[in-house]
Amino acid sequence: MTANTAVIQIEQLSKTYQRSRKEQVDALKGLNLTIQQGEIFGYLGPNGAGKTTTIRLLLDLIRPTTGRALLFGEDARANSVALHRRIGFLPGELNLWKGYTGQQVLDYVGKLRGGVDAAYVRQLVDRLQFDPTLKVRTYSSGNKRKLGLVLALMNRADLLIMDEPTGGLDPLMQQIFNELMLDVKAEGRTVFLSSHVLSEVQAICDRVGILRGGELKAVESVSNLMHADFQWVTLHFREPVAANALAQVVGVSEVQALPDGLRLRLVGDFDPLLRALAPYYVTGMVTEEPTLEEVFLTYYSGTSGKEATR
Amino acid sequence: MNGVIFTETLRRSWKQIVWWGGSMAVLGFYIAVVVPTMDTLKQYADLMASMPTAVFKLLGVNDAAAIATPEGFISFSYFGYALLILAVWAVWAGMNITANEEDEGILDVVLALPVPRWRVVVEKFAAYALIAVGIALISLPGLVLGLNNSALKISTPKLVASTVNLIPGLLLMLALTAFVGAWARRKSTALAVTSTIIVASYFADFIGRNGSGLLNDVLRALSFFSYYDSMGVMTNGLNGGNVLLLLLVAALLVVGSVWCFQRRDVGV
Repeated sequence: MTANTAVIQIEQLSKTYQRSRKEQVDALKGLNLTIQQGEIFGYLGPNGAGKTTTIRLLLDLIRPTTGRALLFGEDARANSVALHRRIGFLPGELNLWKGYTGQQVLDYVGKLRGGVDAAYVRQLVDRLQFDPTLKVRTYSSGNKRKLGLVLALMNRADLLIMDEPTGGLDPLMQQIFNELMLDVKAEGRTVFLSSHVLSEVQAICDRVGILRGGELKAVESVSNLMHADFQWVTLHFREPVAANALAQVVGVSEVQALPDGLRLRLVGDFDPLLRALAPYYVTGMVTEEPTLEEVFLTYYSGTSGKEATR
Repeated sequence: MNGVIFTETLRRSWKQIVWWGGSMAVLGFYIAVVVPTMDTLKQYADLMASMPTAVFKLLGVNDAAAIATPEGFISFSYFGYALLILAVWAVWAGMNITANEEDEGILDVVLALPVPRWRVVVEKFAAYALIAVGIALISLPGLVLGLNNSALKISTPKLVASTVNLIPGLLLMLALTAFVGAWARRKSTALAVTSTIIVASYFADFIGRNGSGLLNDVLRALSFFSYYDSMGVMTNGLNGGNVLLLLLVAALLVVGSVWCFQRRDVGV
């Protein structure tokens, strides 16, 4: 397979669940998406947006209502077993045999996969500082996540599909996870990961797609999105400060008065704001990352008429 | 079929042979030694006969005189209930074929591997079928030992035939549970439907045996317990037709399980 080959090609993929005799839920509506070899693609959206449904369709765990998904050019449903040899999967909620030790799980899944390199598995276990001697039921969510990562990575899959991969991992392990994903990318392999954590996506993804209400709202490169980045800043003062006192500062907008301070939106550097604050006694300052939704809205409001690249 | 799931299921569940087979052996031993003399058996039969007909029929006895014989007593008091007791194991095992792991979300991990769905059903069924055979065979020595220490004398071939006769019924219940589990998405639904069918089948046979007429004949024909026929096997040996019929239905249910499981969404 050469570069720029579509590893995932989704065409008009829809999934409708029959909740009851009268009620239907459209979990995914006419999804079109192409992911190239060697990409790390972030699939973003709030809970219930359709991220997990997409992943389950790709893995043939559920069947589409309409449309199809091609993996490596082959139908994800018709050739699922052969395709799964080339896929590593980490589910959002990892459920395993509770009475097994981590090592027993690794051995069993390794046998089911076949051809797993035991030395590489040990290397992954060491790198993630995972103790495989304990029973699954005793693992914390972070340790279960580590086990899931080893299971997903053990066969050096050409395509990794990961549903919220870093949930429960501590910051150090998140850093190791990022390194592992970048190693995978460097080897020309492809990663499709769902997330709702912007910082995780920023750190490793090449492109991101945002899903809302079962519809893909946008697909954009991370570098483009970052130009639309901003922060919410909350300032606390010893004496009251009028909202309009900071309204003219470069990069500041949407200033709101709080009981003991101001909340504002800041684009760009902090310096103009800090200089403008010099006359006032600041008792506290808190910055918050914008939500993904806000970043996307900012990006697209600033590039009106621009279509999402797919 | 590469046998990994089969081997793993056996590794995980082989102790069931010891626990269930051992428990049935203890039960068989106890039932055999509880009758110290043939006179006790006669008193027991007389007690049954003194009851109103409806009451002793309610206990599953057609002919009170029949249980005055060693064969009749063991058929009634052990083999008559053995299949119903082992139905608990069969349902438990059948639920483990797909329903439990699907309910717990484990099947997502397994089916994302290069494992076809049919292999999960077939290999697990094969493993549990082997365990069913093990349970039946392990239960036999308890009964033999008990009879050797009792006034009751029954030839070993009759006991072997009656024990082997448990296997087709067990396989059928295992396959039935697997089928309902593969068809229904909810574990609770699968459990409720399977238990209802088994209990209804038991009572259909019971009611059918205790009356005459077309309705009773139909009820018996619909109940797999009537093809189990523990009293008939103890008296006349294995009925090849009944055994084949039960095995055939079990095989069809396994095929049906694969068909249902292949076609539907998993874990929704």
